[in-house]
Order: sequence, then structure tokens, then C-alpha cells
Amino acid sequence: MDAQTRRDRFEEIAPDLIEPLRRFLARRTDPATADDVLSETLLVCWRCLDELPAEPLPWAYGVARNCLANAQRGHRRQERVAARIAVVDPPPETAAGPGTGVGDGALEEALASLRPEEAELLRLWAWEQLTPAEIAAVLEITPNAASIRLHRAREKLRDQLRKIEQPAGHEESREGRRS
Amino acid sequence: MSDDWDDDPELRDRLRSADPASSLPPADPARAARLLEDTMSSPTDTPTDDPTDDWVLTESRETGTRSRGPLTWLVAAAAVVLIVGVGVFGLLNHDSQHDKVPAAGGPTTVTRLQAPAPAAYQARCMVPTAPMIAQQSVAFAGTVEAISGDVVTLRPTHFYAGTPTDLVKVQAPPAADLQALIQAVHFKQGERYLVSATRGEVTICGFSAPWSPELAGVYAQAFPARR
Repeated sequence: MDAQTRRDRFEEIAPDLIEPLRRFLARRTDPATADDVLSETLLVCWRCLDELPAEPLPWAYGVARNCLANAQRGHRRQERVAARIAVVDPPPETAAGPGTGVGDGALEEALASLRPEEAELLRLWAWEQLTPAEIAAVLEITPNAASIRLHRAREKLRDQLRKIEQPAGHEESREGRRS
Repeated sequence: MSDDWDDDPELRDRLRSADPASSLPPADPARAARLLEDTMSSPTDTPTDDPTDDWVLTESRETGTRSRGPLTWLVAAAAVVLIVGVGVFGLLNHDSQHDKVPAAGGPTTVTRLQAPAPAAYQARCMVPTAPMIAQQSVAFAGTVEAISGDVVTLRPTHFYAGTPTDLVKVQAPPAADLQALIQAVHFKQGERYLVSATRGEVTICGFSAPWSPELAGVYAQAFPARR
């Protein structure tokens, strides 16, 4: 692929990736990190243009996810340094994390009670609105596994919501889940 | 049926109503265009097997401790505007050195490098290539040992060009914005860089950058005799 063809192809694909990727990152990290990871993700797409699948978005989500995990590892290291500094110069109390205080406290609590992988499946399903096959592409698992895990995660979330919203109920006996 | 995407629209809607990105305004088109342009200005001649691994490699253990590192490196290599003030280096001492790395006879030898003229930062960046790096009179891989005041001290691990010394010191001139430099090349204590210089001036525009396998490959290619 010559340079111009490459540019043309990237210019055709990338604009449609920016907005979904921005949202994907805004849901999962702070604005500064989101900006950085967006640039990194686009850079990977640019460099690996030849390998981009026909449906590049789930693949790009997967890249963003890995870039974000990497960035967050770096942040944790920075935080350890900051923690040492904070002993000398304590900052004001930390504000609530992203996603808190939006309103649906029960949902947040229920999501938080799931394993991180389960919560992520549900986010990819509900927020990114991906199909199980697309979720599979993001998480690099088989579509079948994505489908099964998504089904279980939804069940678990419903159970948790019931427990949180009806704390007086008999949790163990409430098997009458709708199907 | 349970595998259907819309198996539980009620639950999905409830989750969606808690979507933190629901209030996110769309990207500013000008910014998005600039982002794409910046991305396309970065080198692509990097064969990789796995895009994710590529990123992880670029963001090696030495450089991968902050999310900003590769971005600023990318920007340094690619963007025009941000290049301004990238390598605002000055001499540590006033005895300006040119071209030749001083190899003092003392126990600790030091290479001193300075900044290019401010006008150089206005230049549009080229992708670093081996022939261009081959023209550099000093090129080395090294770890930032200290950043104190305006001085960045590197301990070289390998000299591709120039007379090997124990240390390399670069300094931002008094007028320069050290923050701009730090953001662009992202000199950070304890981390590893590839740095090149010509006529005693550190070369900017992605020639001097956090160590990455790709850039190290270009350096090695540029100086085959001393790879």
C-alpha cells in the first residue's frame, strides 16, 4: 500500500472510530487519560492499517482497552509516588470516582458487586451496544464464550439488583427470575 | 433466546441511563481532524505482528510508566506546533562544545549538548530515518540519571556515534520553557532514551525520544559499525 493509498484508507476508516472510542474511554477513565489513550489507539490503527478487520470498531475497542490498561498501570505507579508526596502535602479529600452520583445507586452497587470482567461485558453490551460476536472481538474470546458470559453476567446483575432493592426478601428462594 | 442481544431490553435501558458518556458532547471536528493528521504523520514502517504488543513494546518497561510518554513522543515526532520548544537545550556550562564529544581524561567523562536555535523548532518534522540519523555526530542510548533545575543528566549505555563518555548533560537555556521540553521528549528520571545531536545540539522531532525497539532499530541501521 503506497503512502497516499494508506492515508486515503485511514481517512476513510478513522473518522468513524473517533467518536465511539471517545465515548468508550470517557466511560472508563478521566478526560486526560482518555485523550492520551485515544491518540495511542489511533496510532496503533494507523500502524496496523493492513491488519484492520472489515469491522474495525470492536478491534479498535480491544486496542483501546489494552492501551488503557497500560496507562492505568503507569498511573498506579505515579500514584505510589504521589502518595509519598501526599504525606508531606496532603491534597483535599478525593472526589467520588466516575460514574458515582449519577442517580442509579442500586445499579452502581450491583455493578460494583460483579467481577470486573462481568461488569465490563455488561458495559460493552449496554453502553457500546455490541453484539456477543463483537464483544468477543473486543475481549479476544470466542463468540460462544461471549454469549454465555454475557447471559450469566446479566443474570447476576438482575440478582444483585433484586438483593439490593428488596433487602428484606428471601434472596435464596427467589428463583422466579424471568426468562 | 437468552443469547440474543436484546434479551433484556429493560436491563439494558437501565444500564444505558447510567451511561457516563451520555452527556459527552461530540468531538470538535477541527480537533478530530488534527488528531487524524497527527496520527498519520507518525512513522508506519514498523512491522508488527500484533498491534497491541506493538504498543506495549513501544511503551516498554522503561518508558511505559506513564500514559503521556508515548503520546508526547508521538506528538514530538509528528506535530508541528508542539515541536516548538521541544528540545530547548542549552549548555550546562558556558563552554560551548561543537560536534566533537569531549572525552576528558578525568575519571568521569561528560558530553555536553546544547539546544538548537529557536527557529529550528518551527521546522516541520520528518520521520526519523537511518540516513538522517547517520548524519548525527552524537548518538547514544542512555538512561536519565537526574533532572535538576534545567539540567538533564543521562548515563549512556551505548554510543552509536561520537566519543563515548560516562555521562551526557543537556541543559535548557534560561529563557526556555523546561516544561515544554519535558512534555515533548518526556525526559524522566530512571528511564531510557535514544538521543542524537549534531553540531553539539540535540536533535528534536522524534530523533531523540524515549527508547523504543523501532527507533533503536533505526539507530542501529544508521550506524551499522557500532550497533
